[in-house]
Amino acid sequence: MTLTTGFTRRALLAGVAALAALSAAPPLSAQEVQTGGTLVVASLQKPRHLNAAVQSGIATAVPAAQIFATLLRYGETFEPQPYLAESWQFSEDSKTLTLKLREGATFHDGKPITSDDVVWSLGVVKDNHPFSSMMEPVESLEAPDPRTVVIRMKEPHPAILLVLSSALTPILPKHVFDDGQDIKSNPKNNLPVGSGPFKVTQFEPGQHIILERHDGFFLEGRPYLDRIVIRQYQDANSGVLAMESGEAQLFPLLDATRLIRRLEKAGNMAVTDKGYAGIGPINWLAFNTKNPALSDVRVRQAIAHAVDRNFVAKALHSGLSKPAIEPVVQESPFFTEDVERYDFDLDKSKALLAEAGYGEGGNKLQLRIDYIPDIDEQQRAVAEYVKAALAKAGVEVTLRSSPDFPTWSQRVSSHDFDMTMDQVFNWGDPVIGVNRTYLCSNIREGVIWSNTQSYCNEKVDKLLNEAGVEPDPARRKELYAAAFKQITADVPVHFINEVPYHTVYSQAVQNPPVSIWGAMGPMDEVWLKQ
Amino acid sequence: MAEAWAIFRRSPAAMLGLVILIVVAAMTFIGPFLYHVDPFEIVWAPLTPPGEEATIPLGTDNLGRDILAGLIAGGRATLAVGFAAAFITMVIGVVIGAYAGFHGGIVDDLLMRVTEFFQVLPPLLFAMVVVTLFQPTIVNVALAIGIVSWPQTARLTRSEFRRIRTLEYVSAMRAIGASDRNVIWRVILPNALPPLIVSATLTIGMAILFEAGLSFLGLSDPNVMSWGLMIGSGREYLLDAWWVVTLPGAMIFLTVLGVSLVGDGLNDAFNPRMRER
Repeated sequence: MTLTTGFTRRALLAGVAALAALSAAPPLSAQEVQTGGTLVVASLQKPRHLNAAVQSGIATAVPAAQIFATLLRYGETFEPQPYLAESWQFSEDSKTLTLKLREGATFHDGKPITSDDVVWSLGVVKDNHPFSSMMEPVESLEAPDPRTVVIRMKEPHPAILLVLSSALTPILPKHVFDDGQDIKSNPKNNLPVGSGPFKVTQFEPGQHIILERHDGFFLEGRPYLDRIVIRQYQDANSGVLAMESGEAQLFPLLDATRLIRRLEKAGNMAVTDKGYAGIGPINWLAFNTKNPALSDVRVRQAIAHAVDRNFVAKALHSGLSKPAIEPVVQESPFFTEDVERYDFDLDKSKALLAEAGYGEGGNKLQLRIDYIPDIDEQQRAVAEYVKAALAKAGVEVTLRSSPDFPTWSQRVSSHDFDMTMDQVFNWGDPVIGVNRTYLCSNIREGVIWSNTQSYCNEKVDKLLNEAGVEPDPARRKELYAAAFKQITADVPVHFINEVPYHTVYSQAVQNPPVSIWGAMGPMDEVWLKQ
Repeated sequence: MAEAWAIFRRSPAAMLGLVILIVVAAMTFIGPFLYHVDPFEIVWAPLTPPGEEATIPLGTDNLGRDILAGLIAGGRATLAVGFAAAFITMVIGVVIGAYAGFHGGIVDDLLMRVTEFFQVLPPLLFAMVVVTLFQPTIVNVALAIGIVSWPQTARLTRSEFRRIRTLEYVSAMRAIGASDRNVIWRVILPNALPPLIVSATLTIGMAILFEAGLSFLGLSDPNVMSWGLMIGSGREYLLDAWWVVTLPGAMIFLTVLGVSLVGDGLNDAFNPRMRER
């Protein structure tokens, strides 16, 4: 009965270490947990390397969240929880954040994790991470003692707590990475020494990533699994077949709705849409506001009225995607109902076009639409639908396909487009994933997922910037609501649907990753029922 | 010619092929006058099965577009690509093959090395590169297929020319002072034509398949409805809605079958040894 005693001790510790992460999961007594086993995760992502401090995106985030610990973590709500930091406190003016690190935490090579490592890692993220807004207000990072980290900011930066969580700010071992090489191209990024629940032992690009349990992990008894294998599949079909054959047990980030429906019907697997509140993926139609016709807000509004997002959600996406109406997803704490929605109304659309001088009696409006290749259901099918829908409003749309992602990205980032389908992630806080699309200062040629719409409204800039430095959550929400209302009135993009990411898992998988970060969060609580 | 037609007519397979082709051609060219629906227009609920709704006999695709309208409109583009690609293949292949075969020597060596260079490139991959480099428009797709398919025609033409140029009537023409150009185009080519016609026919079928293959990989003109495009955008729904892919697939199958049967029939009709049978 060693198991039982082990878990009694663990249950005791759980109280001390505030293991609130479990609180939202269905209640289960500690005795039920079975340790050991290998979890095979099906993945369609191809990471370039595994160091999330210098690389954004899902592909790196999923393995990196297992390899590296972060200061904070999140459960199913947007409430921060202790992780490597056991406590934290803002100063009175909200400009200083002091974090206390857990005692006895070690890296995979056995060396202790100290505040020096944390300060160095935060500096690496500040200097190198593509999301420069995450740490932009940070002025100085201090380590007064080995277990204390002080972050000083030039203005309040409420998003910092989220920034310090899963996959955005991994804690790296300074003694390994601080070797004088450029960290972005450091070969150690392929098999990094980490701080998280699992250590990476093999990374075969295009094949698999093998993660082994880190016995010295600072959360006692965790992780429950012995091994995680992230196996890469060429497409969703082969991933789903692997799930059906039992070769893989967990398939996160699946957005092919026909396949999701099929697995739902199969009955021997569980399907959930939880775990994507943090990433907040939105599929939208973006306008190049520098296009002569599209610079007229009435034309953009007319197009918005002619495109029926309910058709897309229900008919094209098997009823599995939610209509998107504003810059954030419904699960975001900043979601508001009070925005311009552009319900489907063909007459209104034609009237607006006529007012702008197009349609009957005016010029025929001809536009081109681009779309991201290889995401057929979300991108190409919707682009094809937009073509058909706008034909009914008298607008002639031609599709321009791109052979690969870089081609599309190059066209859109160099502003060589009329309209394009796009997919942009919220990344938990508007400061990270929303502002970039709308701020005048972020019209940056050559940068994808910047303000490629060339949209500029000073009122929106002011509201977004004020909200970014507002420590009071309620006031912050009001400011964002005002900004979103203005943005939707100006329609630089027409929001269509939330990407229907789902996680499919076999019945054996317990505590599947359903926190706001889903599989981009640590899977130290996942266990397999034998 | 009359003799060839007599042989052709006697072959049931060849006649079947011809009938299939006539039906397909009639459908795509007369169809639009009888059944007028924009193939890109959303007319009904997506993935409506065939026969469920009287106004849309063959059902709808994943967007709710009429499959029958797609088949009619798509046939035109698919056949156009097939014929255009075959034409390009013939022009390049015959010119290169004719000069190589007629002149021999250095010209032959040079042209054959070029031909071999193109021949060792995997055709589908090469076509993908061409379509990817330029835009996947219907013209570029036809061009790409033409560019990757000509080497075989060139080799066939060359061997025919090498054979015919040694015949007495060619020597006779040259003896009375006919120019090279006259000999190549007026004397040898007409006599080398029968196998080339057969080859051209088969090339049409191959080009149609090629277009479908490229479309399946997502490399077709998204603004021109073709059978390949229908298959390309419907393949994800194969398990739920068989008709979206199967119907255009069946059209391609029938057309290519028709073309091959006619090609075989022509081969028999033009082949002198068969005539003696």
